[in-house]
Amino acid sequence: MNNLKGIRAALSIAAAIAAITVASALVTSANAADHEVKQSQVDTPAPKDSGAESYAQHCAICHGDQREGNLPGFPPLLGISHRMPNDKVADLIHTGKGRMPGFPGVKDGELTSLLHFLNTDESAQTAAGVVGGGGVLSKAGAALFQQNCAFCHGRDAMGGETGPDLTQSKLVRKDRTGDEISKVIHEGRPDNKMPPFNFSEQETRSIIAFIREREAEAVAHPGGRRGVSVADLQTGNAAAGKRYFEGAGGCAKCHSPTGDLAGIASRHEGLELEERMLYPRDVKNHVTVTLPSGKKVSGILAYQDEFTVALRDADGLYHAWLTNRVQFKIDEPVEAHVELFPKYTDDDIHNLMAYLQTLR
Amino acid sequence: MKFVNDRLLLLLLGFAVGLCALANACAQDLEGAQLLHPPADSWPMYHGDYSGRRHVSFTQITPQNVGDLSLAWVYQTNQQAQIKSSPLLVNGVLYFTVPDNIWAVDARSGHMIWHYNRPSTKGDHIGQRGVAMYKGRLYFATPDCHLISLNAKDGKVRWDKLIADVDKGYWTTMAPLVVKEHVIVGVSGDFDNLTGYLRSFDPETGSVQWQWNATPPAGTPHATTGGMTWMTGTYDPELNLLYWGTGNPTPVLNGQPRPGDNLYTCSIVALNPDTGKLAWGFSVSPHDTHDWDAVETPVLVDGSFHGQPRKMLMQTSRNGYFFVLDRTNGKNLLTIPYGPVNWALGIDKEGHPIPNPAKEPAPDGRLIAPDEGGLTNYRAPSFDSKTGLFIVDAHPSWSIYFAKPADGAYGWAGADYGLWGKGVIEAIDYQTGKIRWSHQLGEGGSGAGVMTTASGLTVTGDAHGNMLILNTADGKTLWHAGLGSPIQSSPISYELDGRQYIVNSSGGLLFAWALPQNRTPGQKR
Repeated sequence: MNNLKGIRAALSIAAAIAAITVASALVTSANAADHEVKQSQVDTPAPKDSGAESYAQHCAICHGDQREGNLPGFPPLLGISHRMPNDKVADLIHTGKGRMPGFPGVKDGELTSLLHFLNTDESAQTAAGVVGGGGVLSKAGAALFQQNCAFCHGRDAMGGETGPDLTQSKLVRKDRTGDEISKVIHEGRPDNKMPPFNFSEQETRSIIAFIREREAEAVAHPGGRRGVSVADLQTGNAAAGKRYFEGAGGCAKCHSPTGDLAGIASRHEGLELEERMLYPRDVKNHVTVTLPSGKKVSGILAYQDEFTVALRDADGLYHAWLTNRVQFKIDEPVEAHVELFPKYTDDDIHNLMAYLQTLR
Repeated sequence: MKFVNDRLLLLLLGFAVGLCALANACAQDLEGAQLLHPPADSWPMYHGDYSGRRHVSFTQITPQNVGDLSLAWVYQTNQQAQIKSSPLLVNGVLYFTVPDNIWAVDARSGHMIWHYNRPSTKGDHIGQRGVAMYKGRLYFATPDCHLISLNAKDGKVRWDKLIADVDKGYWTTMAPLVVKEHVIVGVSGDFDNLTGYLRSFDPETGSVQWQWNATPPAGTPHATTGGMTWMTGTYDPELNLLYWGTGNPTPVLNGQPRPGDNLYTCSIVALNPDTGKLAWGFSVSPHDTHDWDAVETPVLVDGSFHGQPRKMLMQTSRNGYFFVLDRTNGKNLLTIPYGPVNWALGIDKEGHPIPNPAKEPAPDGRLIAPDEGGLTNYRAPSFDSKTGLFIVDAHPSWSIYFAKPADGAYGWAGADYGLWGKGVIEAIDYQTGKIRWSHQLGEGGSGAGVMTTASGLTVTGDAHGNMLILNTADGKTLWHAGLGSPIQSSPISYELDGRQYIVNSSGGLLFAWALPQNRTPGQKR
């Protein structure tokens, strides 16, 4: 198989060279053949599968026999009509792009049938991919997923090193259009260390198709799955948790069951609640910066490293200073959560979790 | 006479051309002697030399003049994958990689000489650590587990051999290590119950010379699988021993199907590089259930330990402990945490941490330090012999680990979630394990490795993408530059034309740093 890829790569280079030679030959012969081709188009319409033949002849070597592509080098052509109007596809065929050679000889009847072929059957295949039928789209997505996502999210998208189980993700479950997933793929989640990925729309769609397939698979086989269910997190003692909250844990110094935590268990549950309890990631810290003039500026800490400190003021305006030019004080009550880590027993955590789950 | 003269001239000319070609060939080739004693104008293997110390003898860039350090050039790969490799430098040419790609770049100007691309769809594309070189040939491991030998001069493929079966769940990322007439390669693969191994290839023909298995074949009753060998090891030519770290056992988070210490997973092993026979092994995390590979650099140091001269091996391991071993026999000299750890009951007589059964992943979760990424990871540490400091990019962190019967006994077999972590450069006194100084890098942590120089500089990066140069004596920042994206590689340094360069990367960019040319001592304008 891998030799095939090598051959494929070599062929595409060879094809590029050949295309240049063939193209110049075709320019001269095309004029002579022009009339004939037009004639045949009118008189005897091209056979239904002539587009497929043309595809097999010119495109399949790189884009695959089933238009599935060979990522990352060669994009799948399934669903190309969603990404590109026919005239653009025609331009691409004629001029080539990047390592893709141009095929100026593909024109008139052949071009029409090839474009027709590229538009056919694609919606049916796409749908098959989304519903988990092992469709071509999700297969392309599977390959991309294995290369780029599997290390963190697991090969089956059910969680792995550092990345969550996507088949249980609320975002995945709610986002039926795929727009939200696509946004996360393209923008990443800097707070959770997920990098952004620069996939094309088609690639993104294929990855989403793969995730959907895994999601359907997980729903179909609920027994043998990993991950953490709400039921798993019910081993604690709520009364002991309350005592810890008010006493040793020191939680009551900042939090109140009738104030900020009122109804917390209605808003969050299971693992998400436990993670928030142990370390809330989305907390905004306040900072006060004292300028050389003595003037003080306060706001939400927007950025901080060894050399720069920045805040957003009440108007949402971003201000930054070099740390060696100003004095600043960051108010970060969330640090109390970090200080608790070495003090917890596992029972403390389970009890605290039981207590929080009573705050509905 | 004229005829004779011409012929003589031609002959002489031919002879001279032949000589040049020969001399040139010698310079192009990287011979064993150069691997044993790397010249100043080279970085001929992943760690720079066989010791893994990543400490350079250069003194041109100093704490006093580092403020003038500036950019010599940047190379833009124009692609998305992050550079995680340490470049090699041989004969003025840098060779570096991302998965499926090698670049050969002029180390003086930063312009590309050739680029090799071999797209692969199979195997994890998580990273690529770099190539190995020997006698003018490069050795490159691909995500789909091929070992490819190429001509260093033009990137032409010589041969292509299989390291492992990608369809079983292996992949490869590591930079091979050349020891004498052996190209030694390791494997990755955590998502399946597979045997980890090292394989030695003939540099000329690519035929397999030996294979050392870290664990018994999959399916052996009550035995563990795993022990992936996914980082480059080190070598002691005097003892003729190869030192390598092995990865976690599988199933990863469920330890029940694999009772006992699970040798030789999460271990440091010493092998004979000619036969692959085990000389000794030391279990760093007996019966690991937290994915803490012990593949971090086994750094080789000769020096005094508590007054006695020793041939030592040091490792800051992913499990949170700093180890000092006698590398002649694998006997432990020191085991001590270098950050928060809460998973062990103590240290046994032989220096192994004793895993606490109550801290194995459980259905209702266990709070664990460090997190699964570990207190450090693939980013390289450095040993500075002058100060006796072992300097590491550490990651104090906390997480929760889960496992239940429904998770099964294959592959990951559980789930774990990082809660919080930060990055900090720690300078560890190797004789006591005491942290002499630390330098905060920011929340989350940094992927940058560490290099030290004889002039007293520590080169690394922070969590935000700043390249940092610290004073090795006290850890204070001397110089910095924002590189646009967090650093995921370990820096290197070399001297070319009398000018010292520091090369590192961020994102898809490779940076070369040097003192301004008119201020380089001994340089003419």
